[in-house]
Amino acid sequence: MAPSGTVTDHPPSSTTDSFNSDVTAENDIRPFFVLHKASSGSSLHGKSIGTLKSKRRIESPTPKIAKKSEVESVEEEDGHFFSTLRLKVFETVWSKIEKAIEDVLRDSNSKIFSGIHDWIRESFESIISSGALKLSEAVRSYPVLTQASSKQLFTALVLTRNLEMVDDLLTFEELDLYLKSQGCHVAKLSSMDFSAKSGVGGCLRGLLRQFVMPTVDVADVTILASWYRENKNHENPVVVIVDDTERCCGPVLSDLILILSEWAVKVPIFFIMGVSTAHDAPRKILSVNALQRLCASKFTLSSPAERMDAVLKAVFLKPCSGFTVSYKVALFMKSYFLCQDGTLTSFVRTLKIACLQHFSLEPLSIMLEHFCQDHVNQLSGEDTGLLTEATMKHSFDLPSVTRNKITRSTFEMLPQFLSDLQRMPNPWSIVVLCIYEVGKFDKLRLLDIFCEILDPEAHYLKYFSPSEIVNCQSHNSGRNNVIRRVLRKLRDLSPSQLSSMLKSWENLTAEFSEINDKVMELHPFMRSVEAAGQRQGLPNSPKKHTSRSHSKLEKEVKAMTDKVAAVIEFMLREYMKPVETIPFHEILCFKNVDKLQSALLGDPRGKIQSDLLESHNILHCMCCSQRGTTLLPSMHDTSILYTLAQEHADVINLHDWYQSFKTILISRNSKAKQKSKSSSKSKKRKDICEEPEVPAEALIQARFCRAVMELQIAGLIRMPSKRRPDFVQRVTFGS
Amino acid sequence: MAREESSKVTRRSTRSSSSASVTVENPEPNESHSPTIDDLTFGEESITLDALLSNFPGRRSQILDFIRLIGPLDCPILPIMVYGSASTGKSSVVLQTLRHLNRPFVYSSSRTCYNPRILFESILNQLLLHRKCSSNGYSSAKRCDKPSDFVNLLREALSNVIGTLDSASGKGKMVYLVIDNVDLIKYWDKGSMILQFLFSLYTVLKMPQLGIMLISGLPPDVYYSNMGYTDPLLLYFPEYSEDDLRLIFLRNQANKKLYSAFLDVVLRPFCRVTRRVEELSTTFSSLFRKYCEPLDDLGVSPNEEMKRRLYSHLKPLIAPCLNEIFRVSSHPHDGDTRGERRQKVNYSSETREELEVLDFHMSSSAKYLLIAAFLASRNPATLDASMFDSTGGMDNRKRKRKVSEKSMEKKEIAEQEAVMKGPGSFPLERLLAIFQCIASVGDSSFGEEGEEEEEDPTGYDRESNNLMSDILLQVSSLCDANFLVKSGSCPLEGSIRYRSMVSEDLALKVARSLSFPLAKYLYRR
Repeated sequence: MAPSGTVTDHPPSSTTDSFNSDVTAENDIRPFFVLHKASSGSSLHGKSIGTLKSKRRIESPTPKIAKKSEVESVEEEDGHFFSTLRLKVFETVWSKIEKAIEDVLRDSNSKIFSGIHDWIRESFESIISSGALKLSEAVRSYPVLTQASSKQLFTALVLTRNLEMVDDLLTFEELDLYLKSQGCHVAKLSSMDFSAKSGVGGCLRGLLRQFVMPTVDVADVTILASWYRENKNHENPVVVIVDDTERCCGPVLSDLILILSEWAVKVPIFFIMGVSTAHDAPRKILSVNALQRLCASKFTLSSPAERMDAVLKAVFLKPCSGFTVSYKVALFMKSYFLCQDGTLTSFVRTLKIACLQHFSLEPLSIMLEHFCQDHVNQLSGEDTGLLTEATMKHSFDLPSVTRNKITRSTFEMLPQFLSDLQRMPNPWSIVVLCIYEVGKFDKLRLLDIFCEILDPEAHYLKYFSPSEIVNCQSHNSGRNNVIRRVLRKLRDLSPSQLSSMLKSWENLTAEFSEINDKVMELHPFMRSVEAAGQRQGLPNSPKKHTSRSHSKLEKEVKAMTDKVAAVIEFMLREYMKPVETIPFHEILCFKNVDKLQSALLGDPRGKIQSDLLESHNILHCMCCSQRGTTLLPSMHDTSILYTLAQEHADVINLHDWYQSFKTILISRNSKAKQKSKSSSKSKKRKDICEEPEVPAEALIQARFCRAVMELQIAGLIRMPSKRRPDFVQRVTFGS
Repeated sequence: MAREESSKVTRRSTRSSSSASVTVENPEPNESHSPTIDDLTFGEESITLDALLSNFPGRRSQILDFIRLIGPLDCPILPIMVYGSASTGKSSVVLQTLRHLNRPFVYSSSRTCYNPRILFESILNQLLLHRKCSSNGYSSAKRCDKPSDFVNLLREALSNVIGTLDSASGKGKMVYLVIDNVDLIKYWDKGSMILQFLFSLYTVLKMPQLGIMLISGLPPDVYYSNMGYTDPLLLYFPEYSEDDLRLIFLRNQANKKLYSAFLDVVLRPFCRVTRRVEELSTTFSSLFRKYCEPLDDLGVSPNEEMKRRLYSHLKPLIAPCLNEIFRVSSHPHDGDTRGERRQKVNYSSETREELEVLDFHMSSSAKYLLIAAFLASRNPATLDASMFDSTGGMDNRKRKRKVSEKSMEKKEIAEQEAVMKGPGSFPLERLLAIFQCIASVGDSSFGEEGEEEEEDPTGYDRESNNLMSDILLQVSSLCDANFLVKSGSCPLEGSIRYRSMVSEDLALKVARSLSFPLAKYLYRR
């Protein structure tokens, strides 16, 4: 999560000046100085990433900076006011998005949850019906001597269908709450409880802690049995949730299952095991005896891709917050989801970072507050009053505004455009959802459609030309042509599919009369198709070419699909305006994909290496920044060593390495003197470069050792092996 | 009832005198009645010998032997060890026989009591008629985790119990101690010591009033040691024969004729696989449900023609069940999502069969990593250079070279050895190197064919694909999912070696989802 706390709101002082001017005496202690200033240097960036970044950012001519340099000091007050305001708006916007996401996820799980609960109820009834136990029977140590199947433990395997567990931690948390609210006794164990070290006692203790009481002397199952017979506890089933089965220590889990199964009749326990890979995963970790005791049922959660589509729909396509992302950002988020991480959690985090950065980069983003409020459509006068001269100027400097040749004629223009902007996504999202309806038949993902349809340079209408239709039938290359795929699929649809599609279109467009009228016009065609189908008797199989009536049906279907295609064309032509083509879209739309990427992919290993090679960028000492390619003794030891290591192959002879290190440290003496003579820099710099004397051999060795150790800890080299005691091995190559 | 009340009172007084700390604080009558001396016997009314014998088909001689070993009332006995493989009726026979004889006994299983302390305390609790409940904070009557303490406490408790037993009538003056699953103690921490102790308990305790019975899944040979103790009397429970099994399964059936027809079909093939009643009964119960599916009336007695019909219905189901230990049934509530799943499965490819498609989500870098790990485990490290050279691993040079018969043979032997050895281990660096190779190859030449890889005009994707930032995270999540296993200790030394635990099927599935030509990279496969 992007730490929202880092966005502090100190008054933006004139620190930008000190950033830009490089030559000041205080520069040597800049790292610390800047870290504080950077966060105070307005809420420009959500994370105080580092000097390097903030410096680069500030020097780049973003509109914000352009504005900043122009504003008078009078406006600092306003700046402060706006940055807190933006933060506030961010919070309302984000809370809205977050709530939408939560609702979607809860909806997607609710069916499974009630399924699991029904299963528990049914199984519990079946156990109860086999005969109630007397108290003395239920707590005694020897087993109930009935049939062998009485040792079966009812188990639900909940397939999460994602290799990563993060998304589902919350799911199991909610399942826990849900089952508790239904009256079950629920305990939740995680793989931490199943460690080989604490053995089966550890997880039993965890169970007892959650069921019986926080401190038990000895974790013994008989305690559970006695507890279960007290205070009417036995009227409800006992549920144990293990959310990450694969990560558990197999033998311990097997032991727990065996123990609990011995008591299965006395304490009816239901296991709920979260399985992230295939459903036979328990087979790999449990022992045979334990497996035989499980009476397993399978429940499948919705896949990450399905959830992703639902989240996209809720956040971007349904009226939610108004915040949206540009084509490139969407592509980045998509590829991050598919290639890098694949969890919804990280997707949401990406979204949050994007949102935060949008609010910190874009002064006009405060306008989003009005989009958040559902009922208020117009900007009121006092709200526009908030817009200062500077922001107004900024707003008319926006690229989308200048591109569209909107000049700054009146202040009144702005609210007009803004209300347009607010209305804009409505028909657009309806069109996207309509296309998604068709795409569903071709198993298209909303994620793909969404990403493609945001492309500001796409020309969809070319797919509708007759030559293109022939073309796309002949060869099916071009996998990212969603529209083309949709059109192709449209021609394969059966009449029943067509009619169901038509129904969903009707629902989708209900609020937007222009499209709805067009959709309604399709109905007569649909009716004739249905009529033809009924005459033929087999409405669902247009592929059989037998009778004449069939060819009639085919003709009708063809006419119908042509009409549908025409409607799609109409929708695309009239309403498919990607958000990036609209003036003032910068207010809503986050576009800076580079910032998002650098915030998300920290790339710590690569960073360590590049920082070591260019340590002067971080340290900002005067001597090193002018060194060029030569190594100076005043550089940091670790940095020197790592630069030297670049000259070696995958193994480094320690002696050679040490010798070259020593050469650099010693040779500095003469050089440094020359330099200090030739260059007339400040006194401070001299102090740094001129160290007292040639360091003693022992000191050099000590420094060498420490530097090597640091490299080892950073994971860049590996210590000598026994076989080759005088060589270290390089672990990483390239930076 | 009155007698029970009085005995309860006496019990209480003795216990409060003996137990140090925990006394029942609340005098109000709670519904959980405290145990009495009667709870040491089976509780329910005892059964006759005939009922006992008919309950356990095929165990007649063992039951009679066991009764003979126990002997008449008040007859001191040597320790008895009952052994035989799992699910042969050892525990049930012992318990039911004690029920038949109506003798007081104490039962503890080393399965439930998984360490010495719990075992000892469980035995003492039963002897002291103590029950854990909320009013005593679920604590034991005595704290005891050393064998020496146990002997003292046991002696004390026993003399108390026997004193009470004297006054009660018809139960003799013997208490039997049954310890089940003795073989599990072997795996405990210091287990062999505890085993020694249990075997020598009889001689150490020197109380003939305690009859010790050990139930073990392993033969007595495994417990022999040089310690001198009285050898227990042995009683062996052999595996059930097929006829025994038939009788056992027919015992509680409503429609014996139908079930016997069912057993005619299934019992013989399944007997060859296992004779454990427990396993068979779970399998049979589900199979019998299938068997009855075509029938409307379950009370019908089948004729030959119907049997044949039912058999042909069941036949295809038998063979898969034979190999199965773990069945996952799909619950009806899960039905609709499964439908969705099939849709999703088809999403990646319409023509392929469902079996060949991965049914869980992995990010594509995790997929490449999985393949890299699989390759690293299967291929010898020496071949890496030739496999992953600049041409992207199409090494046909090796294959073209003439190979002599002899070297072929050698290679085959080596290959078989490799199969026996299982997947090899590899260091992290090798994994990352292979990952980088195949990920770049997958991107450049095979990316266009891939359906899940998306083209990316901006170039962000290409860049971030090659970023190694998240890779270590992915490695750890692969480890968590048991696809990779780790060995080695010190992370600084970098001596951790990994091993891929992925089956070839799964690796192929993953490769297919990326359109990655895995077969080309596999050495000699």
